[in-house]
Amino acid sequence: MVNKSMNILVVDDFPTMRRIVRSLLRELGFANVEEAEDGQDALSKLKSGGFELVISDWNMPNLDGLEMLKQIRGADNLKHLPVLMVTAEAKKENIIAAAQAGANGYVVKPFTAVVLEEKLNKIFEKLGR
Amino acid sequence: MSGKVLKVPVQTQTPASNDDVVQRIGNLVRMLRDSMRELGLDKEVEKAAKAIPDARDRLSYIGTMTEQAAERALNAIDRAQPLQSELSSRATGLEQRWQDWFEKPVELAQARELALDTREYLAAVPGLTESTNKELLEIMMAQDFQDLTGQVIKKMIDVVRGLEFQLLQVLLDNVPDGGGRGDLQRRVDELKGAEVRREASLLNGPQIKAGEPDVINSQDQVDDLLADLGF
Repeated sequence: MVNKSMNILVVDDFPTMRRIVRSLLRELGFANVEEAEDGQDALSKLKSGGFELVISDWNMPNLDGLEMLKQIRGADNLKHLPVLMVTAEAKKENIIAAAQAGANGYVVKPFTAVVLEEKLNKIFEKLGR
Repeated sequence: MSGKVLKVPVQTQTPASNDDVVQRIGNLVRMLRDSMRELGLDKEVEKAAKAIPDARDRLSYIGTMTEQAAERALNAIDRAQPLQSELSSRATGLEQRWQDWFEKPVELAQARELALDTREYLAAVPGLTESTNKELLEIMMAQDFQDLTGQVIKKMIDVVRGLEFQLLQVLLDNVPDGGGRGDLQRRVDELKGAEVRREASLLNGPQIKAGEPDVINSQDQVDDLLADLGF
């Protein structure tokens, strides 16, 4: 059973997209959602602890999603954190790079509510919650 | 462009005949072309011109996406409005009947029928509100265009900045010292930083055209690729 009170961090430089993802998560029953506007902002929030899932865009200023993912995987206290990429980047090489960097899922924008739910469930299943 | 740079040999002091004018213009064009080639500006202009078809594709992508989003939202509203009207009119009808009955509570059978109708209405409410909620969610999802077009607009701004840089460069190389040169140089310097910054190959933003090589066109293809890779 998925713990719906888990803390989720939504990372995207577009406030509209953060709002959409947050609303979809609320619709799915996840109420504890925080937002970060780029990879740097996200890392500093993640380091303060308490997050159990990250949903992140790729193309962002300051620190992009892939770099952020690499830094998460390289940090002792964060490396097991599940990261779902939600991005408009749709080249094969992008998907391969994200997978190799340790992404737990990859959703291409524009996406549907059903796809987001499906990918989240897949992540939770693999985590064996 | 200042005439001081491209000095056309003055061949005669008498008023120019038509042939003279044509010849002078011909000389001017030739000199301009030669000096552009010498300075390597023809390449710069070519580069600027090459950016235009791409810019056109991006603009038409923005047009399509915004139109689709508007239509998606309006369609959802068209579907939700009748549901809201139904909820409202049925409630108003029942409320009126209850009002009448309370004013003259005579027929018990009438009250019973009214209670049954009310119950039926109450049972229908969650279904109708759920449908409306779905449409609200659809309207929300339609706003995802803002992220996608926003990314493309940012790229467009870079393209326009690049064009401005190339054009200013052409001007700058053909304007004599003094005059507006200082101002041109300042603008070129301002744009230089942006010109140098090249996007990394993994940051391409949304696909503005379908069917490009090595590009995934659906979430299913993403899933298949990941499955092939063993993820």
